[in-house]
Amino acid sequence: MQQISLLWLLPVLLVPLVVYRGFRILLNIKADEVPQNERDWTVPQLEFTQGEGSPIHCWDVRFKLASFLFLSFMIVSLQQIQMAIVALLLALASYQLADIPWQRGGKRLLGMTGFLAMFLLMLPLTAVPQTGDQVFVFGQIEWLRFNMRGLDLAVLIILRASAVALLMEPMLATASLPETLAGLERMGVPPRLTQLLLISHRYLHLFVHEARRMQIGMEVRGFRKATNFATLRSVGNFIGMLFVRSFERTERVHAAMLARGYQGRWPQAVNFKARRADYSKALLVVSLGLLLVFCDQLLWQK
Amino acid sequence: MHISDGVLPTAVSVGGYAVSALILSWSVRQTRSDDLPKIAVVSAAFFVASLIHIPFGPTSVHLLIPGLVGALLGPSAFLAIGLGLVLQCLLFQFGGLTAIGANLLMMGLPALLAGWVFHHFKGQGKKQRILVGALCGGGATVLSALLLAVLLISGGEDFWGVVKLALAAHVPVVLIEAGVTAMIVSFLIKVKPEMLDTPFMDKKST
Repeated sequence: MQQISLLWLLPVLLVPLVVYRGFRILLNIKADEVPQNERDWTVPQLEFTQGEGSPIHCWDVRFKLASFLFLSFMIVSLQQIQMAIVALLLALASYQLADIPWQRGGKRLLGMTGFLAMFLLMLPLTAVPQTGDQVFVFGQIEWLRFNMRGLDLAVLIILRASAVALLMEPMLATASLPETLAGLERMGVPPRLTQLLLISHRYLHLFVHEARRMQIGMEVRGFRKATNFATLRSVGNFIGMLFVRSFERTERVHAAMLARGYQGRWPQAVNFKARRADYSKALLVVSLGLLLVFCDQLLWQK
Repeated sequence: MHISDGVLPTAVSVGGYAVSALILSWSVRQTRSDDLPKIAVVSAAFFVASLIHIPFGPTSVHLLIPGLVGALLGPSAFLAIGLGLVLQCLLFQFGGLTAIGANLLMMGLPALLAGWVFHHFKGQGKKQRILVGALCGGGATVLSALLLAVLLISGGEDFWGVVKLALAAHVPVVLIEAGVTAMIVSFLIKVKPEMLDTPFMDKKST
């Protein structure tokens, strides 16, 4: 056990805070468009047309989904920081390959910062000391111990999470959502699920828009959120109203769809035909995943 | 709180997928095709709820509404929450791809329980419905916090500190959830009471 200066406590507490808050600034999210007290309400478009014709874009959706899903599970099984860094670099390389802008990946990382900052803060301070652990004590504060193994674990978790999160873009943004869902359906996901997913995805944009509109209306009438009973009641009424309005609208749309002959599925425009290139790409990605885990095991046993 | 990738042991995330796939297929079979628009609405609303922040002292918490989803949909709640979680993962990276199964268990099981409790104890009176709604809203959040704790602990004893912090962070969420769910139920009783009359098990549907 080593004693270190009390000043070291500062970075230990500040770094998670920076991960949580500062990442937003790094990404240069336009703060002036969004009111300070409110979340960013914009829902990103999943589909992205730039870079069409890249090897990932013209890959058969079924093979792409299956291989990337396999790769993701391999990545979350990694136990060594070095291999997790390699996985992260691989994910970044796929951005170059598919010509996806970095900002899209950055926004995904942003979605996880709150959760991951919790690990970065707590794991080094609360990891149970084992023999061989490097433990630091801050000045005279005996009960607060900084365990290097905990920090390693937190970094490993963050690297694995980031690698998989970054892979989501090449996996999903390189085909339209109906195409991806049709691929899932061919892979055995019940049609009812994929249809519902598509419908909910369409409604979601509508609801976010409607919710934002209602909220602006409330603010114009002088509503300000605070920690009190009135806020709870207003927000409750707000969500209730959102439910009632959306539900009535959706029922009308559903009736109209039925009247036009909707029978639980849309005409499929996607034809799936596996070519040799699809197989070889899948083989490449799957063997990359296996290679990662294999090297990881080798390193672990050392 | 959504679990992200890379936190759970691989066996737990694969197991989460398997168990939630089983419950999901049961939930899909319980769903009548007439209810599909309603489920799409509730899934989208579940998604939007996570964008609505309510201040609590110096911080703010976002809504989860698993209890309300259960009360509105009964057995189909598991399906609706699954859709909402998939969309949150695809669009915002709230909850990881490999952790969708675990996240679905964490949010879906409390919703199912809340649906059952709401259906059996809601009675006819307005006050009773609001009270049961508050209990379902708060209770479902407590249960999902406990499930989160169990899932995190599966990673080893090193995670105890994180679990304690996560449970502490859920205390304001439980209070807000109970309050907001009660308010939403009271609003729906006034405006569209038939939305609350979903039977938990419909004998005619097979």
